[in-house]
Amino acid sequence: MVRSALATKGARLNQGPRTGADYLPAATVIIGSMISLLPIVSATGWWPDWGLLLLVAWRLLRADAWPAWWAAPLGFINDLVVGNPIGLSVALWAAMMLAMDILDRRTMWRDYWIEWGIAALFIALAELAQWRVAALLGAPVPLGVTAGPAILIGVLCFPIAAFLAARVDRWRLGR
Amino acid sequence: MAVIAGLVVGLFLLILSLVAPQSYQAVRGAALDVTAPISGGLNEVTATVTGLVSGAGNYWDAASQNEQLKRDRAALMIRMVEARAIVEENKQLKAALQLRERIRSTVATGRVVGSSFESPRRFAIISVGTSDGVQVGMPVRAPEGLIGRVIDAGSTASRVLLVSDRANIVPARILRGGQPVISTGRGDGTIDVRPLEVGRNPFKPGDIIVTSGTGGLYPPLVPIAKIIRLDDDGAIALPIADPSRVSFAIVEPPFEPTALAVATAPTEETP
Repeated sequence: MVRSALATKGARLNQGPRTGADYLPAATVIIGSMISLLPIVSATGWWPDWGLLLLVAWRLLRADAWPAWWAAPLGFINDLVVGNPIGLSVALWAAMMLAMDILDRRTMWRDYWIEWGIAALFIALAELAQWRVAALLGAPVPLGVTAGPAILIGVLCFPIAAFLAARVDRWRLGR
Repeated sequence: MAVIAGLVVGLFLLILSLVAPQSYQAVRGAALDVTAPISGGLNEVTATVTGLVSGAGNYWDAASQNEQLKRDRAALMIRMVEARAIVEENKQLKAALQLRERIRSTVATGRVVGSSFESPRRFAIISVGTSDGVQVGMPVRAPEGLIGRVIDAGSTASRVLLVSDRANIVPARILRGGQPVISTGRGDGTIDVRPLEVGRNPFKPGDIIVTSGTGGLYPPLVPIAKIIRLDDDGAIALPIADPSRVSFAIVEPPFEPTALAVATAPTEETP
């Protein structure tokens, strides 16, 4: 028996997840939403929606990051903080959780590029929904000047969100 | 399954915010009150840092800047005397015509602390709310020009629909010549201006667009934008009061008090 491994007190063994690890993914999504509170006064709305990026990143990383229904309250917080029409993110984010559950059931495996593709699809759909709702609310902005660049920037920013989610996941599980 | 319930609730909330935007006024106002102090505090920090940097930069060529400023001041003095004379003359003419002069008052003065930089709509957050007398629908301007109008009011912060938002339509006119035009935001920081009467394109690059006061919400003669490019029957303009640069946001009462009732009535424009 390798006694040295047992003797060193708690260096590698007996390290469970950190306290509050179950709530950490949801907390990072809320922090992502709160990036919109930074005092950036921009003429264009091209910045990515970090709440959404982190939500998709977490869900692609783990199916058990949170119970699927948590997406609805998280979306509600996002709507309130960002100033979207209330219900937009609630419906979108819940629908994304459902879509991911179906995707998980249908696919055998997925690699990094497929994940990026899925994320790109979700980001594009979310931006288009936001654009469509803005049009319904009396602001029919041309697609090319608002949603187009926003989708591109969001898709290019997704790897950062995926990296952050992976890092926080490793830290919270104490590995 | 709970997530399906979440989806249904979300769709219901969304439909409600589409058909009856006013129903969320209280909850949106409360959210603004909670979040705006965060933006405000961070805004202080960035303002201090940028102030230090640009303050140091100003010392770099103080001598030549001083020369330039002196020349500018001398030129402006002459213009100011001329303007004073015109104001006096204007007063006398108005008295002769017995036009009543409206006294412009200020409801509240705050700072722009944030904006909707991740949505296709153009909103800004200002640091005054209903406790300062701000109401939904009131026009907001800066010393430089028009910013927009209030669409959500919390007790210590409000959300402003900027003139560059697509849903913000401002009755305006060209300062040179006074031809009536309509100003609509384009959602990317610029403004689309079209003449009311179809005909020859009346715009020239560099023209200043001011509010006309039609409709009674915005006071007349507040600068809105400067023409930068002509297109087939209108022009693209850049707002004169850049919300990221203005020092103060001044909330004013509606120019005609009856206009507020129209502005606060549930319309399609307010989310």
